[in-house]
Amino acid sequence: MELLQFSVRKLIAGVPLVIGVTLISFLLMVYFGPDKTFDLLGKNPTAEQIAEVREQLGYNKPFLVRYGEYVRELVTFNFGASESTGEPVTSLLARTIPVSVALALPGFILGNLLGVALGLLAAYYRGGLADKFIMGSAAIGMSISFLIVIIAFQIIFSSSFGLNLFPVRGWDVNSIGDYVSYVTVPTLATVFVALGYNTRFYRSVIVEEMSRDHVRTARAFGVPPAPLFYKLILKNALIPIITRIMFSIPVIIISGSLLLEQYFGIPGVGKATYDAIVTGDQPVLKAVVALTAILLVIVQLLTDILYRAVDPRVSLK
Amino acid sequence: MTATPLLKVTDLAIEFSTPQGRVRAVDGISFDVYENETLGIVGESGCGKTVTGLSLLGLIPSPPGRIAAGSIELAGRNLAKLDEAAMREVRGGEISMIFQEPMTALNPVFTVASQMTDVIIRHKGLTRAQARREAIDMLGKVGIPAPARRLDDYPHQMSGGMRQRVMIAMALACGPKLLVADEPTTALDVTTQAQVIELIGQLQREFRMAVILITHDLGVVAETCQRALVMYCGRIAEQAQIEPLFRSPRHPYTHGLLDSIPRIRDQRLTQLPTIAGRVPDLLNLPPGCRFADRCTRAQEDCRTAEPELTQAGQSAFACYHPIGHQPAEPVA
Ligand SMILES: Nc1ncnc2c1ncn2[C@@H]1O[C@H](COP(=O)(O)OP(=O)(O)O)[C@@H](O)[C@H]1O
Ligand SMILES: [Mg+2]
Repeated sequence: MELLQFSVRKLIAGVPLVIGVTLISFLLMVYFGPDKTFDLLGKNPTAEQIAEVREQLGYNKPFLVRYGEYVRELVTFNFGASESTGEPVTSLLARTIPVSVALALPGFILGNLLGVALGLLAAYYRGGLADKFIMGSAAIGMSISFLIVIIAFQIIFSSSFGLNLFPVRGWDVNSIGDYVSYVTVPTLATVFVALGYNTRFYRSVIVEEMSRDHVRTARAFGVPPAPLFYKLILKNALIPIITRIMFSIPVIIISGSLLLEQYFGIPGVGKATYDAIVTGDQPVLKAVVALTAILLVIVQLLTDILYRAVDPRVSLK
Repeated sequence: MTATPLLKVTDLAIEFSTPQGRVRAVDGISFDVYENETLGIVGESGCGKTVTGLSLLGLIPSPPGRIAAGSIELAGRNLAKLDEAAMREVRGGEISMIFQEPMTALNPVFTVASQMTDVIIRHKGLTRAQARREAIDMLGKVGIPAPARRLDDYPHQMSGGMRQRVMIAMALACGPKLLVADEPTTALDVTTQAQVIELIGQLQREFRMAVILITHDLGVVAETCQRALVMYCGRIAEQAQIEPLFRSPRHPYTHGLLDSIPRIRDQRLTQLPTIAGRVPDLLNLPPGCRFADRCTRAQEDCRTAEPELTQAGQSAFACYHPIGHQPAEPVA
């Protein structure tokens, strides 16, 4: 009951955020985004033609009226059709978002699980050889550009110069086997790059937690290292860990990984958003922005609920 | 005292590596603790009290710290030589320690029940249900009302005094031979301080265990201890039974500490005991007595060689010119 009340309150409090984000984004889109009039008309249009097209595109209406339409579209979740392809925006999103999530999820989960594990290990042996080795590798992983990793991994795993085990490009997934074959190399590349950042972050969180008084107390009562780290320290470190993980969720769902989608030719939402930005496809952009803002509110709510589950001092008030 | 001591610390030295160099936070101290007695360790902040207490449980943070020399014998066993696994058996089982900061000493995201029963299960090998009953029993003994209900509280639901009682209950749950209490009341308000000190004294008698009470408050020592060590800058300045220590302190530092007691009472503990001058830097110790620069009785010889701890009459002290005019040799 407390949880339900809290959720409702939190969602209502999220309305201004959604309005703010959409208003500012729309403002930028309208005044600084591409103007499609001349794309559609070609060279030397007449004044009447221009006026007609602007009327069709809705460019001639006052800004607030246009924003009002945006809000109506948002509430009904009907953003019309893509100006480039004519595909309804909802079906575009329903087609691309699952692909992006399926593409990013394994790397995201592995990158974080391994990051926490390596962070714990490095923290436990801090100053020692294992720590230096892990953190040195992390620094190397962080300093190589994602693009180079992608290309190198494509050569190593997917070309006749290397192991040639996986398809280089595409996303023709009809079975688990297909999925694994398309997702493996992007996942390896993601983990390779994310692991350095994650390990560094998790190590610092855990090292900080290790210096707490309650850790000294636990040691003074003979708690062995395994429960000390995996239970007592880790649970305390969960708040910053949850924060980091939760707030990367909107990024995965909405922007996907543009680089991955482009270099592996995968039809995800990142690629779709990128195309929409380039062509000024406002219906798609409006939907993506609105969805991002809503997702942010939901993620904040879920984050607060998770905080409460982990830390009894957090109250859902 | 002729009985064999429960704890015998001999020439203990504890070193820390710092970026500026190595410091000896504790430099060659020796003392005994007997069964069923309360030994006070007093001294200003930074003189090495906490580090001494931690060393008894093998808890010197390492790196940067280490036990550089000496032995710590508990009932004949040298703890300084035990491996980590054996030391874990000692911690909370044979020697327990409670800390200064009850607000942060307990794990904030686990219930008191979870923290207490874990300790009891580990050391006594009981089932969780049995451990729970023991925990409730112990909470009752330390004066927590409705212990069965409070057991499932989280630490933040309790006051500072309650949390320190929980720490004491946890410390005594496995029947340790020795309790090390490091400034257990410093962070508490005055009324609660008195109650907690009273509680420790009462439990010491009930459990017939030895207690090392670390404090900077000589008043607390007078109320609870049979014997006390006065530490200064990593060394023992004076060691005696409480009665002679308070009636006729021999070391000028002890005298200075005693002098400052009325001041702290007047100022309702807003200020720690003060003696004019500053404690020397451990990285840059003077060649002679470490207290010489602050001492009203210091003479030439005090600045050339460090005085050794010498037994004279009812006290042992490290001073060339002790108060009381007797030379540093046994008196009748
Ligand atoms: N973790 C540490 N690193 C470096 N030096 C330390 C550390 N802990 C303690 N010391 C040194 O030991 C000295 C004594 O500290 P401590 O035992 O905490 O004093 P007390 O408890 O008497 O106030 C400090 O002044 C400091 O020089
Ligand atoms: Mg201390």
